Amino acid sequence: MTTQWRYREFLDRLGIGVIIAIAVFSLALLVLPSVVVVMISFDTRAFISFPPQGFTLRWYQEVFNHPVLVGAMWTSFKVGVVVTLACIAFGVPTALACARGELRGRTALSIYVIAPHMVPGIVLGVAVLFTGALVGIGPSIWLQAVTLSVFVLAVMVRTVTSRLQRLDPALEQAAANLGATPFQAFRTITLPLLMPAILAGSVFTFVEGFDNLSVTIFTHGFRDRPLPIELLAIVQQTSSPMVAALSGVQILLAILAMITLSLSVGLDGVND
Amino acid sequence: MTPTALHGPFIDRLLSGRGIWPAVPAIIVLAIVAVIPFMVLLSLGFSDVVSSRGVIISQEFSLRHLKAALSDSLYWTTFRRSIGLAVTTTLLCMLLGFPVAYLYLIGGKWTRRIILVLTIAPILTSGIVRTYAWIVILGGRGVINTTLMQLGLIDQPVRIINTHWAVLIGMVQIHLPIMILPLIAVMTRHDTRLDEASANLGATRLGTLRHVILPLATPGLGTGAALVFTLSYTTFVVPQLLGGGNYLNAATMVFEQVVYALEWNKGAVTAVILMATCLIGLIGIAALTNLATRWTRAGRS
Repeated sequence: MTTQWRYREFLDRLGIGVIIAIAVFSLALLVLPSVVVVMISFDTRAFISFPPQGFTLRWYQEVFNHPVLVGAMWTSFKVGVVVTLACIAFGVPTALACARGELRGRTALSIYVIAPHMVPGIVLGVAVLFTGALVGIGPSIWLQAVTLSVFVLAVMVRTVTSRLQRLDPALEQAAANLGATPFQAFRTITLPLLMPAILAGSVFTFVEGFDNLSVTIFTHGFRDRPLPIELLAIVQQTSSPMVAALSGVQILLAILAMITLSLSVGLDGVND
Repeated sequence: MTPTALHGPFIDRLLSGRGIWPAVPAIIVLAIVAVIPFMVLLSLGFSDVVSSRGVIISQEFSLRHLKAALSDSLYWTTFRRSIGLAVTTTLLCMLLGFPVAYLYLIGGKWTRRIILVLTIAPILTSGIVRTYAWIVILGGRGVINTTLMQLGLIDQPVRIINTHWAVLIGMVQIHLPIMILPLIAVMTRHDTRLDEASANLGATRLGTLRHVILPLATPGLGTGAALVFTLSYTTFVVPQLLGGGNYLNAATMVFEQVVYALEWNKGAVTAVILMATCLIGLIGIAALTNLATRWTRAGRS
């Protein structure tokens, strides 16, 4: 009896141990490649090799003295800002309708808004490229920004809607009872309470505007090429540690984005 | 409704209404930039267009491009490869992702925080950057090869990059966070009193995992699988960078047809096939999730 119990206990510990070992392996797998790249970006040698030797900021200087790369970063920054502003302007009102409209219209609306995000990026990119060509609109920074806005609008709508649904409707009602017009109630009560969600949504829309490749590759302008396009080309052409430094810059941006998220809705609020 | 709301300024009426009016601008924009383009894509894929100097003269319904695609063996190998790769990626992500979610469930405050940081940071990092990291690791003079040579295990670099395996490794690592996030969402809502009750009734921890946690986490696995399948099936970056020049998947095929070969009808058909098969895959995953939910809840050993 006891032997059987011990055997059972042993199996249980073994099983849980294996599961936790896999979990630790997965977490290491997520972080180690980026750590390696950051280490290599400080290497003094002009080729990629491991383990890195010495320490230099030369490759970072080279990135910021590279006119094409700086131009591409600036282009992508502009796209990210335009996408974010468009998603706030169109997404927040849509979220209001999604959270408060009549039930039947609400479901249909949510599906309609989320559908473009569910379509593979390259399919949307190709479709917009073809349609633009038919009406005489060629690929440009604007076509890229507009298409990306439509692609990620769903993220903003979802984030703001889920926040709205958890707000107490009595708050706005109280404002109305005190004589506020619906607009005043919205501006002074609801909007401030929505700010964290809007900020969190903005982080994701900006990152998508800055980094997206699948939609961008079909819609970007040829004069102002955005960062992902330049990055894709440069990664395939050169093995200079400068690419690692460029990656290091992008990883730093991701960390900044994550800090913004954790200060706005908290990291565990990202999933709502 | 108060009189002010009825007679007030336009914006007040909009905000006080229960209708879908605030969404109208977005609805119109989505119609122009998503719905119409998608219809154009379908019409390009399923018609013969005669045009002169960029002006369409006639357009007739035709299955010519679809038939040409289906009789081309390159299509079959490419799509079979893409589907196989996406399915393998999804399964491996489930296998590697579920334990992380379990660790999140049983872990303390700091364990949970670390898991969230390590999962969300990659999602905010450019896919090209994350794929480049694998070039650095798997390349001819990369981390693995130099380490193995220094240890004297091999004399010259082993070819890892530009193989199917390199693509698979990259695919799994890049899409893993997308699997973990929905699982964590399920675990956050999980009532740990159920686990205590299960333990009090004499269940081992594995037993609790199998009969309490797994059934409740299955919908999260389904959501994660749907996301990972869609993204890995239609990804462009990983096969392009880790598969070498002639490694085609469905997405790189669309790109080559549209951008290099300028064969728009062909590209449109490929994109439509890609989307249709993706949809079928998603329906299949939804059905399997339903089955698995019922099976894990009914199962009693």
